[in-house]
Amino acid sequence: MAWLHGAIAVFQKDARLELRTRFALNALALFVAAAVLLVRFAVGNAAVTPPMAAALLWIVILFAAVVGLGRAFIVEEERGTVLLLQLALPATSIYVGKLAFNIAITLALNVAAASIFWLLVGPEVHALGLLTTTLVLGAVGLAGATTLLSAIIARTVSSGPLLAVLSFPVLIPLLFSVVRLTQLAFEPGATWSAAATDLTALVGYGGLMITASVMLFEYVWRD
Amino acid sequence: MTSTDRDNLMLPARGIGYRVFTVLVAVWMTVVVCVGILGHISNLPILEHTARNLYFHVPMWFTLMLGWFVTAYHSLRLLVTRRRIHDVRAEQAALVATVFGVLGLTTGIVWARFTWYMGTNIWWNGDPRQVMVTVQLLICGAYFVLRGALDDERQRARLAAVYALFATVTMPFLMYVLPRRMESLHPGAEGNPAFSQMDIAPEMRWVFYAAAVGFLMLFWWIYTLRVRVRAAEIRVSELADWP
Repeated sequence: MAWLHGAIAVFQKDARLELRTRFALNALALFVAAAVLLVRFAVGNAAVTPPMAAALLWIVILFAAVVGLGRAFIVEEERGTVLLLQLALPATSIYVGKLAFNIAITLALNVAAASIFWLLVGPEVHALGLLTTTLVLGAVGLAGATTLLSAIIARTVSSGPLLAVLSFPVLIPLLFSVVRLTQLAFEPGATWSAAATDLTALVGYGGLMITASVMLFEYVWRD
Repeated sequence: MTSTDRDNLMLPARGIGYRVFTVLVAVWMTVVVCVGILGHISNLPILEHTARNLYFHVPMWFTLMLGWFVTAYHSLRLLVTRRRIHDVRAEQAALVATVFGVLGLTTGIVWARFTWYMGTNIWWNGDPRQVMVTVQLLICGAYFVLRGALDDERQRARLAAVYALFATVTMPFLMYVLPRRMESLHPGAEGNPAFSQMDIAPEMRWVFYAAAVGFLMLFWWIYTLRVRVRAAEIRVSELADWP
């Protein structure tokens, strides 16, 4: 299980560096707060129906995620630590460690976004368990799809809007399921059985993305 | 295999078989277009003569799918063998697929506007097939944007191949999961078969099959030509770099 220890080491390194400056977390929190405030002002006094609320919430999360998650491998290039990582650990360890860190960040982002959204826009939450499950599975799917892509864009010359361009087409199946589930959680009378198909689709999506990433990461990471 | 073998873009000369194939495609497509426009169709209300679009709109979809699978196949081969010719093939297949995809999307939008949505002002509807092809075209676009953002050509080949394969993985969701979960007027939606006995008149069936085969052959012709042109272009540009 050497690769697992390596993955844990990568995760701890990233978590420690993040907790020292809290740059990514603070930036994401402010981004989400500002974006939800913009939504609030743009919507005005109009009534926000559950489908609208679900769509707006996930648009905010999606944009925050592609802004925040693109950094995972760019920071290694900027610090010049890529070669050290390549020497120290197998590719799978690095991918899994980075994925775990990205899932943690996305989870924090999702929870923060949903809370601020609930506070400012005020959709009624009828099924908190379903909403939480959706946020967790959504975080796994989002991080699973964007981690490999952020490793790709770290290699490009100008990585600015590239993560959004690369990840949005890939994220559409995820968006479809999470929006339906969130809508269900905002409406009265939500049941688990009504959500079963979309939850399975979400689990399948996350699993598929992570499996494909593990298989392909080697080719991105090694020259 | 040495690195010169890997970078080799010399393609063998075409044999007589390929010439016969090109003549066959030219004649075949001419016949398909003539029969498609002039042939007899079951003139149903609402559809009327727009039914002829079946011969052109649907095969364009098939061509987009075939083109993207060729891209995915050569992306995989590139990662395994690292031979540069696979990168050229993957890029050109994606290019031709994108053109056919745009044509298929356009013919589909116009067709839906003047049959299903006659008398309304709906051009863009939430039809799952339309969403699917749009996503596929976005993926093609992202593929070319990524290629443009990478300078080193080995890295470009490798990372573009990774992205192509990664995007291909999401296709089961776009093809099978979403269309069955969304409402649609499109044949083949919500799990019903697209071309069963009820959907297509017998005299149209054979023209449709011929058109599908013809478009796939036409794709292959354009694609192989483009691969040769691109490989030659790269060779010439590298020849010019020599002192």
